[in-house]
Amino acid sequence: MSVTTLTSGVTWPGLRPWLGTLVRLGLAAVWLFAGAAKVGDLAGSGRAVNAYQVMPFEVAKVIGAALPFVEIALGVLLVVGLATRAAAAISSALLLVFIAGISSAWARGLSIDCGCFGSGGQLAAGQSPSYAPEIARDIGFLVLAAFLLVWPRTRLSIDRWLEGTT
Amino acid sequence: MSKRRQDKSAAKVVRKQLAAERRRKRTLWVSIAAVAILVIAGLIGWGVYQSQRSDAGPLVAPASATTTSGETLGNGPVQVQLYEDFICPHCKDFEATSGSAITDLVNDGKIKVTYNTVAYLDPASTTEYSTRSAAAAACAADGGKFKEYHDALYAQQPAEGSAGLSNSQLISIGTGMGLNQGSFGQCIDSGRYKPWVASITDAAAKAGVTGTPTVVVNNQVIPNPTPDAIVAAVNAA
Repeated sequence: MSVTTLTSGVTWPGLRPWLGTLVRLGLAAVWLFAGAAKVGDLAGSGRAVNAYQVMPFEVAKVIGAALPFVEIALGVLLVVGLATRAAAAISSALLLVFIAGISSAWARGLSIDCGCFGSGGQLAAGQSPSYAPEIARDIGFLVLAAFLLVWPRTRLSIDRWLEGTT
Repeated sequence: MSKRRQDKSAAKVVRKQLAAERRRKRTLWVSIAAVAILVIAGLIGWGVYQSQRSDAGPLVAPASATTTSGETLGNGPVQVQLYEDFICPHCKDFEATSGSAITDLVNDGKIKVTYNTVAYLDPASTTEYSTRSAAAAACAADGGKFKEYHDALYAQQPAEGSAGLSNSQLISIGTGMGLNQGSFGQCIDSGRYKPWVASITDAAAKAGVTGTPTVVVNNQVIPNPTPDAIVAAVNAA
């Protein structure tokens, strides 16, 4: 009797929503840090986007200025747990774009910093790019986003509260 | 099964379906709202950037510069473009090792050199020293003292992460070399050339310059700009 209650106390369906909360807050922290690092230097953020040389400078400036704010907004959505699945889907899409961008910079032999957490896309003289760790890190974040895409129901979320009201 | 019981379970199925339908609708609307929030956030970012730009004032270029390129010295046939940031330690190293070679090439009438004093590293100081120092050097250019002032700024380069030199320090460096206290001081305090610094910084990024220092001789980037490499590139041009 006591054995059954013990095992049924920590089942996957019981644990998953709490694990999901951790994943959600982790991914939120990633976006909030990434956005906060860039929001103070929007021109630098535009230069970082331009450093990838995949779009005209004028377009890169718009993306560079908009991106930090979008990242912060995504972070806020994830912190409060509103529209978790949509936020996870957009996070995945953004991360896939970033991974594609870094891979393409690598493939074209560009020598840039990814600019992921600020620093304007430039490398200090004599510093070599670290594309592989940057991609590995983004894949790690992508795993978090994928978890929430598959299991968006998490504890301590507005989504769950909304569900309870109807 | 009685008729009543059948009705009851049928009603239950319908209720369940209605509830599922409501959930689906709610999820849809919440998702649409989330996407709208993200779009609005992006638009706010673009708006903030635009207003930062237009608040800075009108775009005017200092003496010997254009609205998209820096102060130019010499009139030799070969064009050398330097991209430097006054707070960048590697730029100071570059000036220490290669600065005199470039000055010699100017004096020998071999090159025309443009000092693009870009502000790539504004976040590296707490006071946007990159922009302020480049704007101050532009004020010095109007007084005919660009190169002297440029060299003085590297001699007194502040550390990355610090507040950098204050505006009054920037002014006293200039008055120390004979620049007019009133007009030079007013030029720095009013931030007259800050929009110009932003403009040449944009132009540099547009030209594909991703870091400082960058040395370009006749449109060719010199990967390792030692004095020998620069002289060789100029002679080959």
